[in-house]
Amino acid sequence: MGKKISAAGQQKAAEELAKAISSIDGVSAELDSRASGTQVRHTVSATSTPDSWRELAETLAADHGVDYCSMITGIHWPEANDKTWEVVYHLMRTGVTDPAAIEGVIQPNITDADALTGADVPMEIQISISLPDTREPMVASVQDIWVGADWNEKETWDLVGIDFEGHEGMRRVLNPHETPVGYHPLQKQHKLRYHGFEEMYDDAQGYMRKPADAGKIK
Amino acid sequence: MAEMWISMGPQHPMTHGLWTLKIKVDGETVVDTEPDLGYIHRGVEKICEARDFTQITTYCDRLCYASANTWSHSYIYAAEDLLGVEVPERAEYIRLIAVELQRIASHLMWLGAYGPDIGNLSIMVWCLREREMMMDLLQELGGSRMHYNFPRIGGVKRDLPHGFSQRAQAKLKLFLNRIQEYEALFDESTVFLVRSQGVGYAKPEEMINHGVSGPNVRAAGVDYDVRWAHPYSVYSELDWQPSVERSSIKGADCYDRYRVRVEEMRMSASMVLQALDKIPGGSETYHEPGDPKIIAKAPSRAPEGTYGSHHFEDSRGESMFYLAGGGEGRGKMPYRVSIRSPMFITIPYAAKCMIGYKVADIPAIMGSFDPCIGETDR
Repeated sequence: MGKKISAAGQQKAAEELAKAISSIDGVSAELDSRASGTQVRHTVSATSTPDSWRELAETLAADHGVDYCSMITGIHWPEANDKTWEVVYHLMRTGVTDPAAIEGVIQPNITDADALTGADVPMEIQISISLPDTREPMVASVQDIWVGADWNEKETWDLVGIDFEGHEGMRRVLNPHETPVGYHPLQKQHKLRYHGFEEMYDDAQGYMRKPADAGKIK
Repeated sequence: MAEMWISMGPQHPMTHGLWTLKIKVDGETVVDTEPDLGYIHRGVEKICEARDFTQITTYCDRLCYASANTWSHSYIYAAEDLLGVEVPERAEYIRLIAVELQRIASHLMWLGAYGPDIGNLSIMVWCLREREMMMDLLQELGGSRMHYNFPRIGGVKRDLPHGFSQRAQAKLKLFLNRIQEYEALFDESTVFLVRSQGVGYAKPEEMINHGVSGPNVRAAGVDYDVRWAHPYSVYSELDWQPSVERSSIKGADCYDRYRVRVEEMRMSASMVLQALDKIPGGSETYHEPGDPKIIAKAPSRAPEGTYGSHHFEDSRGESMFYLAGGGEGRGKMPYRVSIRSPMFITIPYAAKCMIGYKVADIPAIMGSFDPCIGETDR
C-alpha cells in the first residue's frame, strides 16, 4: 500500500552504522528499536566522550551521509552519580539531494522506499555525551558541519548553560537579552512549585494561604 | 548609499506573531538580516518538569494556536515510546483522522494569512470559511474549537461520534471542490503571481543542512517526509504519496511553497476519507470513553534512566519531543522535556533567504515559510 521504509531494511542499516561508528575511540553505538503507537522504528543510539565528539560528527557527516541536525538537548543532573551535565544530539540521515535537471527541466526526486539500501536508508541517530562536574560545561560546536545546529546550540546555552567551543555569535535567543550572566532557567537549582490537585480543590482561590514571608519584619 | 539597520517588528503584519526581524538595507536592497525571538517564551519545557505525563498534553496543545492537534500528538508518541504502551489500531486511525484534519485547518490558516500579506484580501475570508468546517469536525472529536486535548497516552479521549463519518465525507467533498476556487483566485491573480514568483529561492540540500524540513523542502522537488521515512501511525495502510512540487533550477520560490501546501491539503483530505473507510470496526461503531478498543492502559511512571523520543511530521516541518524519565514523585513527572520546534530552526533560514531581495519582498518570503511564533518561543 502506501509508501513506507521497510523495518527490516532500516534495522540492517542501523546495525551497519552502529558498527561503523563504534570503531572510533570513546564511542559506543548500538541498534535501538523504539516502539510508539503501533510501529517499531530502528534507530542508532550512541554515547561518546566529549573529546571524540568532534571526530564522530565529522565522520558521520562525511562518510555516513548524516545531513540533518534535528535537535540538541542539554540536561542538568546535579544529583546523578556518573554525570552532572549531559548533551543529547538527535541527528538524521535524510538522503535529500538537489533534483537534477534533464533537458533543462527539473525532475523531482521521487524515492522508491523499497529500493533504498545501506547508506541511503533514512536513519535516526541519538548521541549522548556526559560531561563531568564543572562550573563551565562545554563541548565542541558542530555549527560549521550542520548549520541547523546553530540555533539549537544557542538555545542549549541560553536555557541550560552548556557552552559550545568554537560557536560563533553565541547570544540569548529565548530569554531576554539583559538576562543576568549565569542565569540558565533549566538548571535544576531553579525549582518550580507544583500545586497538587488536593491543594487546588480545597482552596482553589487561595484565601487560606499565607504569603511566604508572613510574620517577618519587612 | 549608506547602509542602515531597521527593525521590523515586534508589531508588524509580516511577523505573524511577536518577534523582530532586524534588516540591514542598502537603499531598497536587503544586505543582512538578524531575527530576534523570545518575546512570548513561556518556559513550557520547565513547566512540564513539574507536571505528570497526562497533564503535559494540554501544554503541548498550546504550543501552536493554528495546529494544536499535531503538537499534542507529537508529544503523545514520544510519551508512549518512554512508557512502552501499545496502542489499539482503531485509536491510531482516529488519531490519523484528527491530525490530518488539523493539517488542513493549519494550511488553510496559513493560506488565509498569506493572501493579505501580498495583497489579496478576499482569500482570507474564503479560507476561514472552510477552516470553520474543519474546526467543526475537530470540535466533534475533542469538544473544543482550538485546543482539543484529544489524544491520550495509549489511545484517544473518545471514539468518533455518531454520524461523524457522513458529516466528514460531505464536508471534505465540498472542501475538495472549493480548493479549485482558491487555485482559480490565486493562480489567475497577477498581483499574487508577480509578488510570489521568482523571489525567495531555496535549494533542498541547503535547507536540509539548515535544519529546514516539511512542506518547505518538498516544495523544492524532493519527497522527504517523516511519515514514510520514519514510519509511525497507520499511514502505510493508506494509499498516499508526499506532495512534491517541480521547482526551478534555482530552487523553490514562494509560489512553489504555496503550491505544495495546496496539494498537501488535497492529500490530507484523501487520507481522511480513506481512513474513514478502512477504520477497524467501522466508522459507525461507537465505543464509550475508556473502552480498550480505543485506549490501552498505560503506566503513569517512568523510571530514571529511560528516555523516549519521536520524530513527527508537523504541519510546518519535523517536530520532535525528547523526554527523560525519572523526575519528581519517583518518575511520575519527566526529568527533562525537550521540544524541537520546526519554525525555531526555519525562521533564521528564512531570514537568510531574504538577503539580496528588496524590502517589499520580505512579507512574501517570510509568509511563505509559514511562521508560527507560539511553537517557536515555547
